[in-house]
Amino acid sequence: MSPAIQSYAATLLVYLGVNAIACWGLNLQFGIGGVMNFAFILYQAMGAYITAVLTLPAATTQADQRYILGLHLPWPLPLAGAAVSGAALALAVGSFALRPRRRDFQATVMLVVSIIAATLVTTEQGWFNGNQGLFGIPQPFAGTLSLGITGYDWFFVAVTLGLALLTLAFTGLLTSAPWARRLRAMRENAEAAESLGVHVRAESLKVYVTGGAIAAVSGGLLVEFIGAWSPAAWGTGETFIFFVAIIIGGLGNNFGAFFGAFLVLGVFLELPTYLPQLSDANVEESLQSAAIGVLILAFLWWRPQGIFPERKRNLSRAIPAGARAVAVAEAAGTVPDSRNEQPRQREPDSHAAAAGTLSVRDLSRGFGGVQAVDGLSFDLAPGQVTGLIGPNGAGKSTALKLIAGAIAPSSGKVLVDGVNVAGWPAHKVARLGVIRTFQHTSEFGRLTVLENLLTAAPGQPGDSFGGALLGRRHARARQQELLARAWALLADFQLTAAADSYAGQLSGGQRRLVEIMRALMAQPRILLLDEPMAGVNPALRLVIEEHLQRLRDGGLTMLMVEHELGSVERVCDSVIVMAQGRVLATGTMAELRRNEEVLSAYLAG
Amino acid sequence: MSQVVLSLGFGLVTASILALGAVGFTLQFGVTNLFNLAFGENMTVAAFVAYLARVSLHWNMWLAVAAGALSGAVLSLLIGRLIYQPFLRRGTSQFAMVMVTVAVSFILKNVLQIFSGATFYSYQLPPESPIRFLGMVFDARQLTIIALAVVSLLGLHLLFRYTRIGKAMRATSDNGELARSVGIPTDRIISATWLLSGLLAGLAGVALAIDLGSFASTTGGSYLLLIVAAAVFGSVGEPYGAVLGALVIGIASEVAANYNPQLKDVVAFAILVLVLLVRPEGLRGGRVQLRGEVTV
Amino acid sequence: MPISRDNGKQAAPAGGPAGQAALTITGLAAGYGDTPTIVDVNLTVHRGEIVTVVGPNGAGKSTLLKAVLGVLRPMSGTVRLWDRDLTGLRSDQICRLSVGYVPQVQDTFPRLTVLENIEMGGYTLPRSKVKARVGEVLDLYPQLRRMAGRQGGHLSGGERKMLAIARAMMISPALLVLDEPTAGLAPQPANELLTTHIAALAGTGVSLLMVEQRAREAMAISHRAYVMAAGHVVLTDRADALLARPDIGDVFLGRTAAGEGA
Repeated sequence: MSPAIQSYAATLLVYLGVNAIACWGLNLQFGIGGVMNFAFILYQAMGAYITAVLTLPAATTQADQRYILGLHLPWPLPLAGAAVSGAALALAVGSFALRPRRRDFQATVMLVVSIIAATLVTTEQGWFNGNQGLFGIPQPFAGTLSLGITGYDWFFVAVTLGLALLTLAFTGLLTSAPWARRLRAMRENAEAAESLGVHVRAESLKVYVTGGAIAAVSGGLLVEFIGAWSPAAWGTGETFIFFVAIIIGGLGNNFGAFFGAFLVLGVFLELPTYLPQLSDANVEESLQSAAIGVLILAFLWWRPQGIFPERKRNLSRAIPAGARAVAVAEAAGTVPDSRNEQPRQREPDSHAAAAGTLSVRDLSRGFGGVQAVDGLSFDLAPGQVTGLIGPNGAGKSTALKLIAGAIAPSSGKVLVDGVNVAGWPAHKVARLGVIRTFQHTSEFGRLTVLENLLTAAPGQPGDSFGGALLGRRHARARQQELLARAWALLADFQLTAAADSYAGQLSGGQRRLVEIMRALMAQPRILLLDEPMAGVNPALRLVIEEHLQRLRDGGLTMLMVEHELGSVERVCDSVIVMAQGRVLATGTMAELRRNEEVLSAYLAG
Repeated sequence: MSQVVLSLGFGLVTASILALGAVGFTLQFGVTNLFNLAFGENMTVAAFVAYLARVSLHWNMWLAVAAGALSGAVLSLLIGRLIYQPFLRRGTSQFAMVMVTVAVSFILKNVLQIFSGATFYSYQLPPESPIRFLGMVFDARQLTIIALAVVSLLGLHLLFRYTRIGKAMRATSDNGELARSVGIPTDRIISATWLLSGLLAGLAGVALAIDLGSFASTTGGSYLLLIVAAAVFGSVGEPYGAVLGALVIGIASEVAANYNPQLKDVVAFAILVLVLLVRPEGLRGGRVQLRGEVTV
Repeated sequence: MPISRDNGKQAAPAGGPAGQAALTITGLAAGYGDTPTIVDVNLTVHRGEIVTVVGPNGAGKSTLLKAVLGVLRPMSGTVRLWDRDLTGLRSDQICRLSVGYVPQVQDTFPRLTVLENIEMGGYTLPRSKVKARVGEVLDLYPQLRRMAGRQGGHLSGGERKMLAIARAMMISPALLVLDEPTAGLAPQPANELLTTHIAALAGTGVSLLMVEQRAREAMAISHRAYVMAAGHVVLTDRADALLARPDIGDVFLGRTAAGEGA
C-alpha cells in the first residue's frame, strides 16, 4: 500500500476510534440514563481545548497565537487533564441544567449553554485565539519515536485502539453493573425509580459527569492527532450528528453505539467522497448532508429502535435450574424431596423487615384552592393491614403520596418510626423502608420483570457508581441471592414464565403484579398500596389478598387504599374512612356499615 | 442615555421580526404540540424566494415580500402534511419528533446550500435617508418592518377573536379532544395552522433578510434559538405571550449589544436559560405540572 | 324528595314517537380486553327524563357511558337513540346524532371566554342560527350571561360545569350524557349544580343520562335511577322509591341486594 493510502486508512481508523469513544459516552448519558445531553459537543470541545493548552509549550514562545496555560505536559497527562476538565464542566453545567424535571427543558438549557459557549469562545481572543483556533500542537511522542510519517500514523492508531478498548471496558463495567439497572429504571420512569430509593437527580448528574469526561477524552485524542484545534469544528450541529449515530446504531448498548459511529461518521460522511466527483466540493458536501437528513428520516420511520436495539438481559439464566424448580414446587405447596403426604405449611413471607410504625398528624395539602387533604390524623397499627376507603375525591391517593414524599405537605407531620419525614424527597423516605405502589401501573417498561424486581432491592453492592467500578464479581453473590428471592416471588405469583419478558409487554393485570412484587423486593417496613386491585380479575385478586395476608403475618405494616370493598373486608384488620380530606370514622367493615355518617358520605359522594 | 434610546429603536425592529417568528413558532406548538426546529429554515427559504422575485424577476419589493410569505406558508403546509403528520399519527414520541424536525431542517438547509453555497445574498435595496423619531433613528424600511409586524399581529388578533376559524384554532389548541367532540374538524384546523405559521415564518424571514442587509442559507437557522427564547418566555403555545417575549428579548438584546455587540445573542439565551430554570412554564403558563400530580 | 315541577309538567313523561324511549339499551356487555366489565345491562331513558346511574367504584358506570358514547365498542347488546341504532358507532359519529356529552374532566376550553365556549358548542349549527341559540342557552343559565367575557379557566368548578352543560345544550341534543358532574366539587356547589342547574334541564325536553357519585342528591332530582354493582344492574326503580329503601347503603358498602359480599 502506498504511504498515502496507509495514511488515509490510519486517519479513518483514528476518527472511528475517537467517535466510538464519544458515542459510548453519549450512550451512557442518553441511551442508558435517559439524559438528553444537547450540549454534548461542548464537552468534546472542552477536552480538545484543554489537551491543546496542556500540550503546547508556554504561550510566549509562540508569538503567532495566544492562549492560556501552555504547560507542555508529557503524554498522557494532557488527556487526563482533558478528562478532568470535561468532568468539571459537566458538573458545573449539570448542577443547574438537570434541575428542571422535564427532559426537554433540561435539553434546551444544555443546548443554549453550548451555544453561549460557542459565542464566547470566538470572542475571547486571549484564551482561545478567536476564530483561528490553535495550531502546531505537538503530537504525543512525535519527537522521541523515529517512525516516519506512516509509521507514526499507525502508532497513533494503536494508541487510539488502546484508549478505545479502555473506554469500552470502563463503560462495559458500568453498564453491566446493578447501577446501570437503576439508570435504566430512571430512564423508563423517573418517578417510580425515585419511589424505590433512587436519587434521580444525583444519579443523573453522575452519569452526566462520566459522559462528559469520556467525551472530553475523545476530543483530546482527536486534537493530538490533528495537531490543531479550531472552534468551527465543534459547532452545535455536531451534537445532532452524534445523537443520530447512536439512535441509528441502537440506543442503550455499546455495540449499537459503535455501529452507529461506524455507520454515520465512518460510512455516511466518508463514503460519499467516492461518489462521482462534482465540480464543486461545497455542493457535494451539501448534497451529502441533505442525503443524511433523508436517511435519518427514513430510519426514524422504518426502524426507530435502531439497527442494534438494546438487548434483553435474561437474568433467569443465572439462577440454577435446581433452585428454580424448588421455588416453583414450594409455591405449589409441595416440596419435591419431602416424604410427608401433606403439603408443607406456607410460611409467613419473610420479605418484610421489622414492622414499621406510621403516624400522621394534621397533614394538609391543597391544590388550586381545593384542600385535598385537610388536617388528616391517624396511627397505623404496626404489623397490621389498615384499609383506607372513602368516596371519590376524599383525598386517599393524595394522602399516600404525601406520606411517601411524592408531594410535599403544606403542614402537618408524617412520623415513620418516630422520625418526621414530612417534606422529605421520595427517595429518602423510601430508604427508610416506606414503599408505595402506584394507582396507574408504573412498571419499568423496557426492563425485564426480573430486572424490575432487582431494581427495588436496597443496598446492592454495585448499585452505585463507585460500586459499579468494583466489577461484577463484587456484585455477584448478592445478585444471586436476590435472583433467588425474586424467583421465589415470581413462583408465588405464578409469573415465572414472564421472568425475562419486558415488563411493558405484559397484560394489565400482570403489570400490576410486577409492581406489587417489586415493592416487596424493596423489603419495606411500611407498604403503601394505592388501589392494588384496580383492573385485576377476581381470581388474581384472591392471590394478591393471600399474599398480603401472609405479609401481615410476617409482620409487615400496610396501608391499603382500595375501592374493592370485598378485598378490604377480607384483608384489612381495621379500616379508616376518609371524606373531604380527613378521617371520618375508623373500625371494621361491619362496624362501618352500620355507621350513619359513613353511609352518608358514600351516598353523598 | 441617547445611546440607550437609540438601541431601543433597534430593539423595536428586532422585536418586530422576532414577534412574527415567535408567534408563528408558538402557534404550531399550541395546536399540534410540535416543537418545530425546522422553522428557521422555513424562514430562510422564504427569504430566498423573495430574492428570486426581486432580483431575478424584478418585481417590486412588496410583491417579493408577498411571494416570500406565501412560499413560507406553502412549504410549511407541505412539510406538515407530508412528513410531520404521518409521524404524529403513528404516535411518535416527542423526543423523536424533535429529531424529525431537526432532520427536516438539515435537509432544507443543505438543499439551499447546494444552490446558494456560502454566498451572501442581498435584495439590493437602495439606501434610504434616516428618519428621526423620539431620539431613535430608523430608515423607512425598518419602519415598514415594524408596521408590517404590527399589522400582521393585529390581523391575527382579529382572526382569533372574531372569526369562526380563529376561535376554532384556539379551541383546538386549548383542548383538542373536546374540540373534536363538538364537531370542529381538527385535521383541517391543523392544516390551517401550518399555513398560518408558515406565512408568519415567511414574513419574518424576508423581514430579517431586509434588516440584516444580506442573508445566506444559514440565516434562518441561527435565528431559531432567539425565536424559541421569545416563545418560551411567553409560554410555548401562547401567541400573546410570544409577542411579549419578543419585545423583552428584542429590546434587551439590542440594549446589551450597545455595550458589546457579542452580548446580543448571549443576553437572549441567558434569559431563556433563566426562564427554563426559574419558571419553565413561562409568563402565562400553568399547564406544565411540576413536582407531583394535581390529582386527588 | 320528589322533583318539584315548577312549570307544571308531568313527573314521569311519556315516550316519543310511538311511545318509544329516547335511549334504549338492551343486553349490553362491554369492557376492555377479553372479559366484559359490564354484562346484561338494560336501561331506558324516556323523553325529558332525568335518569341517574349510581353505584360503588368499579361497578362499571363509566364503562357503561363509554359504550353509549362510542368510545368503547360493545361486545354484545344494542344501544338505540329513538329508532336509530347507535351500537358500535364511533364517538364523533354519535356526537353528530344529537347526543351531547359533558365529560368528567377537561370539559371546557380554558382560554376561551364563556361566550366563546358556548359558541363552540354550536360549531356544527348553521351560522345564522348560532346567535339565537346562544341566547336561548343563556336564558337557561342567566349567571353565565353575567360572566360572558370571563375566561373559561377562571371560573370556579361549579361554574365551569354549568358552562360545559350550556355548551353541550347548544345542539339541542335529544340525549345529554353527564359523567359525574359533581366530581371535584365541594358539597355546596355540587348541591347547587344538581338541584338548580341540572334539574333545570328537565323542562327543556332533553333526555338526561347521568352517572353520579353523590347518589342521594342525584337521585333526589331524578325521575328514575339504576344502581349498578360489579358490572350488573342490581336495582332499578323510580328514584324516590329507591331512596326510601333501607338497604341502599348495603349495596354501596360492599353487599349486593342479595346480601352477599361483593
